Amino acid sequence: MKNLYIFIAVLFIPWSFSLAKYDEFEDGDDIMEYDDNDFAEFEDVNEDAVTESPQRIITTEDDEEEATVELEGQDENQEDFDDADTQEGDTESEPYDDEEFEGYEEKPDASHSKNKDPITIVNVPAHLQNSWESYYMEILMVTGLLAYIMNYIIGKNKNNRLAHAWFNTHRELLESNFALVGDDGTNKEATSTGKLNQENEHIYNLWCSGRVCCEGMLIQLKFLKRQDLLNVLARMMRPASDQVQIKVTMNDEDMDTYVFAVGTRKALVRLQKEMQDLSEFCSDKPKSGAKYGLPDSLAILSEMGEVTEGMMDAKMIHFLTHYADKIESVQFSDQFSGPKLMQEEGQLTKLPETKKTLLFTFNVPGLGNTSPKDMESLLPLMSMVIYSIDKAKKFRLNREGKQKADKNRARVEENFLKLTHVQRQEAAQSRREEKKRAEKERIMNEEDPEKQRRLEEAALRREQKKLEKKQMKMKQIKVKAM
Amino acid sequence: MADPRRPGKVARDKPPATETNPALEDPTPDYMNLLGMVFSMCGLMLKLKWCAWIAVYCSFISFANSRSSEDTKQMMSSFMLSISAVVMSYLQNPQPMSPPW
Repeated sequence: MKNLYIFIAVLFIPWSFSLAKYDEFEDGDDIMEYDDNDFAEFEDVNEDAVTESPQRIITTEDDEEEATVELEGQDENQEDFDDADTQEGDTESEPYDDEEFEGYEEKPDASHSKNKDPITIVNVPAHLQNSWESYYMEILMVTGLLAYIMNYIIGKNKNNRLAHAWFNTHRELLESNFALVGDDGTNKEATSTGKLNQENEHIYNLWCSGRVCCEGMLIQLKFLKRQDLLNVLARMMRPASDQVQIKVTMNDEDMDTYVFAVGTRKALVRLQKEMQDLSEFCSDKPKSGAKYGLPDSLAILSEMGEVTEGMMDAKMIHFLTHYADKIESVQFSDQFSGPKLMQEEGQLTKLPETKKTLLFTFNVPGLGNTSPKDMESLLPLMSMVIYSIDKAKKFRLNREGKQKADKNRARVEENFLKLTHVQRQEAAQSRREEKKRAEKERIMNEEDPEKQRRLEEAALRREQKKLEKKQMKMKQIKVKAM
Repeated sequence: MADPRRPGKVARDKPPATETNPALEDPTPDYMNLLGMVFSMCGLMLKLKWCAWIAVYCSFISFANSRSSEDTKQMMSSFMLSISAVVMSYLQNPQPMSPPW
């Protein structure tokens, strides 16, 4: 519906323009003879002067030629006037002396030579013409808009077809693994909608839930913006591909504590910078996976070697090697909290919430020129996802690994606390001051003087006790130091 | 293979994109909306035809990139504003637009 309204509105613009223009050309005058109303006064002056007066006026407006042509024009005009005059004067010349016409002897010669001078027709500038051809910029603009609309419709339909092709290919596998396939969050009961949830013209979501080990799985089909012409043109310079992003939220008891990632080197470098957990726990640069038989294009980021050893079993290596061109990144993390949040100093008072997550990003083959058939090639990758879920549940760190992991997490937390120590101190101080102030106010507001006195004494006693405690502590520290 | 499905353990989809994510994800429609309004005001006030035309393009681009959760009212209002800027520029000055070269 939206498209229809816009299409109709856009059609109105050129139509209104064409209507406006045709009104002016109803009588079908010759363009050369048609003058603006401003210059209409010259129309009736002289029949011969009609063709030349626009020339004269236009040449006067044309600054460059004003000096040279104006005189010519004026001369010619005067000649015409004089011709008419002399014609009229022939009958009336009798009462006039010939002496009066002495200065005009050269004129008849000039009028003869006028016939031999070629008439230079100056081009009328475009902004003074009134044909629709002069509106070529507008026509260009409207054509551009129409092209944009056409591209929008075509791109939207293509994305839609790709999304449905993907879903039809994967539906069976998903339905056999998940009890709930498709949920847009609007229904009261948790029933499968069995449909993709369209967020955008280029993003489609699918929520699957109801399986052992995992809380749920969110699949996002992030297609290229085929509906936006600017994006299409930008992609001609820099090719990109459609992506399928899968985020599996694991149950707390079904995944051990580790952070691990594998993917293309470029993607891992970017993730290491952006993602909170990868930057904190995987401090080394991405290592090559050649040791495990992975192709050179893939690299590994891991919290500790044991995790890599555990993750890289035969089946996983098989998956990664065969579909390396489609894998952008795979991330298993128990401390996943999304990308690093750029917060101000004062606001960071506690660690962001973490969730045990498996993240997969796959590139659809075709580098933008995908067809619905390409979606079938992504099916094995979904099998890999399912396998990874089961593997993450089965994989447990041994004692050493667990100790290391716990140490790492404690270290990260300590660092964070140190950073925010100052803020927390300030917050505690302000809270204490607030309490004191509230108490003082209470004392002041107390009407009974007896009660007031008693409350004041109680507050004083409390203060003294606190001071004593502090002094004791200082003494103890001094003794210990000694 | 045992059936891995557990109908009893179904969790509802809680869309995570609430407060921070819409701004993080893609600012294009918002920028284009703003640009479109700025250009259409310029076109109206300064009577510049090319400003008005760019405003129309901006509102189209903003519409194409918009999220489904966004208000259609906002889209339509920016679109109408840019169309009115074009129409007003031409009503005031019916001469064709001259190219900048």
